[in-house]
Amino acid sequence: MATDTTSAAPTGWRARHAGTIRQWRLYAHLFRRSFSSMLGLFLVVLFLVLAAAGPALAPYPEDTMGAVHLDNRLKPPSLAHPFGTDEMGNDILSRVIVGTRTSLWIGLIITGVAALIGVPLGIFAGYMGGRIREVIMRITDVFLSVPGLALALAIVASLGPGITNCVIALSLVWWPGYVRLIDSKTLALKEELYIEAARAIGARTPRILFHHILPNCVSPLIVKASMDMGMAILSAASLGFIGLGAKPPSPEWGAMISVARSYMPDWWWYALFPGLAIYLTVLGFNLFGDGLRDILDPKSRGR
Amino acid sequence: MVLFVGKRLVLFGFMLLGLLTIMFLITNVAPGDPAKLMAGQNATQDMVETIRREYGLDKSLPEQYAVYIGGVLRGDLGRSIVSTKPVVEELLRYFPATFELVLVAMGLGILIGVPFGMLSAVYRDSWIDHATRIFSVSGVALPAFWFGLLLQLYFAVHLEWLPVSGRLELITPPPEPLTRLYLIDSLLRGEFDTFREAFQHIILPALVLSFPCLASILRVNRAEMLEVLQSDYIVAARANGIPAFRIITVYALKNAMLPTLAIIGLRFGWMLGSTVLVETVFDWPGIGLYAVQSALYSDFKPVLGVTLLIGFCFIFINFLIDLAYGWLDPRLRTQ
Amino acid sequence: MKKIVMLGLAAALLSTAALPAAAFERVGDRKVIVFGGRQQVPVIDPHVRYDWSIRMMQQSLYDAMAKYNGNPAKIEPWLAQKWESSPDAKTWTFHLVKNAKFHNGDPVDAEAVRYSFERGLKLNKGVAWMLKDVLDPSGIEVVDAHTVRFNLKSSYAPFISWIPWWYIVNPKQVKANEVDGDYGQKWLTENAAGSGPFKTKRWEQNVLYELVAADDYWKGWPQGEKNRPAGIIYKIIREPAAQKAALQRGEADIVEGLTPDDYDQIKSTKGIVVQSHAGMTTFGIKFNTQTGPTKDINLRKAIAYAVDYDSFVKVYNGAAILETSPFPQGMQGHVDVPERPKQDLAKAKEYLAKSAYPNGGIELDYYHVAGLEEARRIGLVLLDNLSKLNIKVNVTPEQWPNMVAKGSKPDTAPNMTSVYVTPISTDPDAVAYQYHRNAWGQYFAMSHYDNADVNALIDKARTLGKWEERAPLYAEIQKKIVADQPEVFGMIQNRRWAHRDYLKGFAFSPVRFTGEVDLYPLWIDAK
Repeated sequence: MATDTTSAAPTGWRARHAGTIRQWRLYAHLFRRSFSSMLGLFLVVLFLVLAAAGPALAPYPEDTMGAVHLDNRLKPPSLAHPFGTDEMGNDILSRVIVGTRTSLWIGLIITGVAALIGVPLGIFAGYMGGRIREVIMRITDVFLSVPGLALALAIVASLGPGITNCVIALSLVWWPGYVRLIDSKTLALKEELYIEAARAIGARTPRILFHHILPNCVSPLIVKASMDMGMAILSAASLGFIGLGAKPPSPEWGAMISVARSYMPDWWWYALFPGLAIYLTVLGFNLFGDGLRDILDPKSRGR
Repeated sequence: MVLFVGKRLVLFGFMLLGLLTIMFLITNVAPGDPAKLMAGQNATQDMVETIRREYGLDKSLPEQYAVYIGGVLRGDLGRSIVSTKPVVEELLRYFPATFELVLVAMGLGILIGVPFGMLSAVYRDSWIDHATRIFSVSGVALPAFWFGLLLQLYFAVHLEWLPVSGRLELITPPPEPLTRLYLIDSLLRGEFDTFREAFQHIILPALVLSFPCLASILRVNRAEMLEVLQSDYIVAARANGIPAFRIITVYALKNAMLPTLAIIGLRFGWMLGSTVLVETVFDWPGIGLYAVQSALYSDFKPVLGVTLLIGFCFIFINFLIDLAYGWLDPRLRTQ
Repeated sequence: MKKIVMLGLAAALLSTAALPAAAFERVGDRKVIVFGGRQQVPVIDPHVRYDWSIRMMQQSLYDAMAKYNGNPAKIEPWLAQKWESSPDAKTWTFHLVKNAKFHNGDPVDAEAVRYSFERGLKLNKGVAWMLKDVLDPSGIEVVDAHTVRFNLKSSYAPFISWIPWWYIVNPKQVKANEVDGDYGQKWLTENAAGSGPFKTKRWEQNVLYELVAADDYWKGWPQGEKNRPAGIIYKIIREPAAQKAALQRGEADIVEGLTPDDYDQIKSTKGIVVQSHAGMTTFGIKFNTQTGPTKDINLRKAIAYAVDYDSFVKVYNGAAILETSPFPQGMQGHVDVPERPKQDLAKAKEYLAKSAYPNGGIELDYYHVAGLEEARRIGLVLLDNLSKLNIKVNVTPEQWPNMVAKGSKPDTAPNMTSVYVTPISTDPDAVAYQYHRNAWGQYFAMSHYDNADVNALIDKARTLGKWEERAPLYAEIQKKIVADQPEVFGMIQNRRWAHRDYLKGFAFSPVRFTGEVDLYPLWIDAK
């Protein structure tokens, strides 16, 4: 697993990487065997396709940018509008489809920023140990001591509503998880023989960190990031629901439900479909991450 | 052991101070002026100033911080500008409702999570295992606010089996307070109708709240069971011809329970945080609803108070778990 | 086994769940009216704060010297049976009724009135702004036990229009509960010391507030002693869906705050009546007239001509009327201003061509209060309309306090802010003053409008005692404001409530706030 799989040489690649290929084949086989992992993969791919193609797939792309069709309000699902229309007469299917893109961005930025803050701190803490580690970990613990949603609520309430502030707030509460993960991984790796060896032959700290420790943190990192994508999307939607999320008219699932709940139960489709979209997306990322963990990190299964 | 506990206590204090400082800073970057809101729409500037002075909002930030820390040390979390009452008084009023909800939700989580985790481990990789897995991941993936709305609409509005929201029917007076948990108080007072009513009101919100926690209990229990089932002594027990059911329920479950208990503790604090959503959906008059309502009015002392309370519970539970582990595993004490 | 028992127990609890059928709450043989509202009532002190839910409670617990009633709203004698003012509107004398009693039995006398006004002015909160510029505590004079005289600092014709909002507290009770000279504020937050038709009973913050009828209310009951309710429960129901369900199931007798679609739908339900009345709450999109692109009057005019006014009414499913002047239709002195813009894209483009942005290409902020559905939708309409002028609109929800903070200075006020304004009295000065230079900093003056002529006219009109002299000034003020287009004049939404048909005595008055109902005449006509 320590081999570098990303650099591809033009010739003899297969021969040189026979071991790696075998390993990946095994992973693929294990992954395929699990129904829930495949379901996760399917949902994630579907989500990514919708996010990529977005407006091209939406039957009424103009409806996602704040069109107004007041004569066509709150129509139940039909052939023309499979998910019905909302209180402005916009097509809900189109808004749900384009909402995937908003959600993808939210998920990517939050996990990305969290990893960017968390990973360096985690490696640093784990590798340096002693006082420095103590300080970093205690600060991390402080952030971890309040459930993310409550903390994010306070931050967004203070900064004011809007997607950007939501993303800032959630990124701020998300990084401590990465520090914990990478710190423990680094602590374990530090004692490994090959790291000791590298140190003995005089490799400098940055080299050890980047060439030996970081690559070995990649697989748990991927697993965590994949699960976090889902959870970040869910949290952003929750803030949207409370009324602190996306601004109109940009389609965001949580904000859609927040508006739609005034229209329950008679106009049930308005809340149902965005909710299903959130559920399936988060389910997909979680099952996918779970599946990855089973093959990449079998020991921690179930944790 | 004394040294161990002492060290943890110092850490405990340090964490609380850190939390307090961070929260204070976060809630004070707000551009909004709650004093203006509370002074009323037509208030003149000097009327707003009157209120700012009364709530100490006219002081500089460091001064406000010093006043706040001083207050916290004396058990005073400031005053809510919306209700004009001390935050501590309001937290005491709203916390029991939240506590009751979390307790019942936790009970549901254990009641469903443990047996299904067991089943899933015993029938590993069967359809039961897969179904349970998707079910448990669903628990995490379901947006609580949305799921709550659906349940509310189906069971309360459509079928009319359960009440829509609140803790009791309108006219029903709450039972004389002992613990302030309606379920317990009504039983202790022998008011069984009130108990039934309280139960009907709590069932939906508790179910929604329990879902994510149920999922993690289930998963941890499953993993631990798997490990235990493969251990030597269970294999030995099996070889000795002890019935499978007895092995699983008596020997294996007992050993799988400790990590499960740890996760239950951890999840408790987390649940307190999720009440923000669930209480909003079900109009449950607890600290979560209080926090959301205050946040929407830019009334930050209550928001600060609620986050501190949740953080305190969380740190406190971790502290207890730490102590429990330290007591069970002497090696940790010297670390 | 234990589990099975538990499940069985749970099943039993659920199956026996015979929910209360649609029936009214009762105490003895009298009925209790249940009002489902969205907003809590954190403070009931009449001199500290007011909004619709708070004032609904204050009006039930306290009396003032006069009361607004009817549509159009008229000032009726209440604790004062008559009053007179000097010709220059500087001295006002009130004669109190003799039989009014506080709930504890003390008589409502001139000293109570003096103390209440003094308390309101000294606390400098809530209602204080209405009178603080013209009245000093030393100017209130107790002539005899039932006569009180107000000597104002200057002539002020609208004085009487504020009197109904100054409730009278019992000085003895307040003083007995004073802590550190706080004028009893702490105590009055959740307790009442009034003489009104109701008294407080159960007070569970964030859940419900229960009032009981005062047994021997000094003014009697309009629905008759036999029919009067035992009390009122104000239950907090935050979600429109839950409000609707509660009304349909008979758990609530009257609710406010449903969505326009809900009202339309529930109208045809048997046993439910929807009250829909034109109020006085105006909706306007205030331009920042001092800084930014909207400083340009041609741009303001262009926008005003591009707006689809009909959709303002459609947003309310037809339950609204368009403004025809800056003053709401129900206001004394209102005149139609025919020059007001109507949607006309050609004209809009004409004005745009004259502005500094002949081809558009700008982006304007539109702020609305987070959570206000209709304001958000109007933002979307605006976004759609202005796209035809090649102007982008950035629809931004903001919490009320933050929005007010931004809008209080010309430098930070958004390009466009949607604001609902409810005049607190029926005197046109209440609306006109919003356009006075002195109103800058207030939420309704976010346009920071400044026209010297208008300022002078407003100043003059408020000092004149005779209505015939004032009326033409107000007509001119309205014309001048429309010409300057400091805002897009929007609509006046209907105030709506839905109630069970057995709830009687509902009386609308436009001067009350959005959800506010006079609880005093309500009763339930059913067995």
